[in-house]
Amino acid sequence: MADSDGVAKGWRNLKTIANLTLDTLFWSKKTLFVGLLSLIVLALAGVGRAVLVLNLVPTALPASQVFGTLMSTAVMRFLVVFVTLFYGTALVSEEVEGKTLTYLFMRPIPKPTIMLGKYVALVWIGSIMVLPVVMASYLILYVGADMRPFFQDLNVLCRDIGIIFLALLAYGSFFSLLGAWLKHSILIGLAYAFGWEGIVAVLPGFTRKLTITHYLQSIFPHQDTLGALSMLVGDRTDPLESIVTLVLMIVLFVATASLIVREKEYVLEQ
Amino acid sequence: MSALVEGKTLSKWYGQVVALNNVTFTIGQGVVGLLGPNGAGKSTLMKLITGQLRPSQGEITVFGERIWNNFPLFHRMGFCPEQDSFYERMTGAEFLSALLHMHPFGDAEVAKRVDSALETVNLSSVRDKKIAAYSKGMRQRIKLAQAIAHDPDVMVLDEPLAGMDPVGRRDIIQLVRQWGKEGKCVVVSSHILHEVEAMTSTILLMHNGKVLAEGDVHQIRDLIDRHPHSIRIRCSRPRKLAEALVGFPDVESIHFDPEGDALTAESRKPDEFYGRLPELMLDNDIELEEITSPDDNLQAVFHYLVK
Repeated sequence: MADSDGVAKGWRNLKTIANLTLDTLFWSKKTLFVGLLSLIVLALAGVGRAVLVLNLVPTALPASQVFGTLMSTAVMRFLVVFVTLFYGTALVSEEVEGKTLTYLFMRPIPKPTIMLGKYVALVWIGSIMVLPVVMASYLILYVGADMRPFFQDLNVLCRDIGIIFLALLAYGSFFSLLGAWLKHSILIGLAYAFGWEGIVAVLPGFTRKLTITHYLQSIFPHQDTLGALSMLVGDRTDPLESIVTLVLMIVLFVATASLIVREKEYVLEQ
Repeated sequence: MSALVEGKTLSKWYGQVVALNNVTFTIGQGVVGLLGPNGAGKSTLMKLITGQLRPSQGEITVFGERIWNNFPLFHRMGFCPEQDSFYERMTGAEFLSALLHMHPFGDAEVAKRVDSALETVNLSSVRDKKIAAYSKGMRQRIKLAQAIAHDPDVMVLDEPLAGMDPVGRRDIIQLVRQWGKEGKCVVVSSHILHEVEAMTSTILLMHNGKVLAEGDVHQIRDLIDRHPHSIRIRCSRPRKLAEALVGFPDVESIHFDPEGDALTAESRKPDEFYGRLPELMLDNDIELEEITSPDDNLQAVFHYLVK
């Protein structure tokens, strides 16, 4: 009974923190930027549709190929990374800079629950900002006189949504950890996402496995240029192993972020 | 007095900077004023009491338990921070409701407490207004409301009167006194002596990260009165005024400003000095422009006390 009470209380606290954080994140200036990025992805889908309809390329191009390219480049490499980077690194640091963290830390809630609630809010807003764009892109590229490809490729759409959601969880956990730990986390996050991942992914050997993108590429059905290049210098990791590794990474990053929040003294400048 | 908050050989440093140096104190029920100039270590001490910082050395306990990462204790504690920071998009009622939901209260209880806290700080009429649109005084009040809404036994209020208008100050002073009478432990900081005097006579006097004195504020007043009191007078004929003042035995020294439009006199009996001033001005046909007392600021008081 006491256990179920504790779980109910923990769940309530998590929900309260998540709601509060979601509201703060959603109404921040970041949402404008992320919204703009989403519009760019939709515009690219529109361009892709125009290419298909007007036969602007010499060879016949199926909608699935355009959709795959859009997902692997614009969505996975940019939208997911930017959304999780901007919101994830801000989860704690923005409350420190805004000096509102005190209000949360002065409540009878374990600090790890606060971190976890914030992470839930990040995944929530990430899903709100990214997944509708994926679905809208699918509609833009597939809806037409012949609806057979639309229904045939629905399984691809569902799988993409699942993998993109996993990407949101993975990148979100990593950038949340950076935000809880470091002062200039956004710069370090940018260096990681567009420096380290870009370079290491095309290097032969084990170092490629020290990136999130490697495991995502191993299970993602579409390839972008970077992914294709990286496959030239090494094999994919087994899909099941990739998923397990990603899940372990998520758990490790969120747990470490929670531990940091628990032990770190956040000195709010007067 | 049973100790609710206790610090033993408490020190806190940030890198090379010592913010609090080997402080030992005990705080029980009632109001305690934490008095000291800016940079004395008041805010650091308050953050240690509220478990936001971990002591570098020594120990701090609240209700007999260590406070750092002891989250259940926060249900019995309230903290009003100095910084003017909020979730600006929220209304006053939403702000309180969100924070109260982090306590073990049901929805109905939260709603009741929101109403009660807003009424206590006189913000019921603007409960649905966004905090971003609140005046400075209202912001100070809503900050106080979140500290008291869950009815804590220990309240730590960091400069609660900062930026408030006179009516607001009076209201908050009355509330603090009332909480003290109800048996709550209220720790309230200020760098202005008369503000603290209005709320309590029990003080912890801090300077340079140390507790200089602990006890009755009137004893501090006595200490201050043993030292010459500086009074700066800007008037139409400072030299004529100096001539008139110099004959009185309580006047220890007179200095003229370089501009020649003001003098600073040091008196051991400031009350008598102020009493005779109007007559002297009239008799000597001197027009008074401004009287200020540099000693009214605590920095001067501490300078006296540490000398």
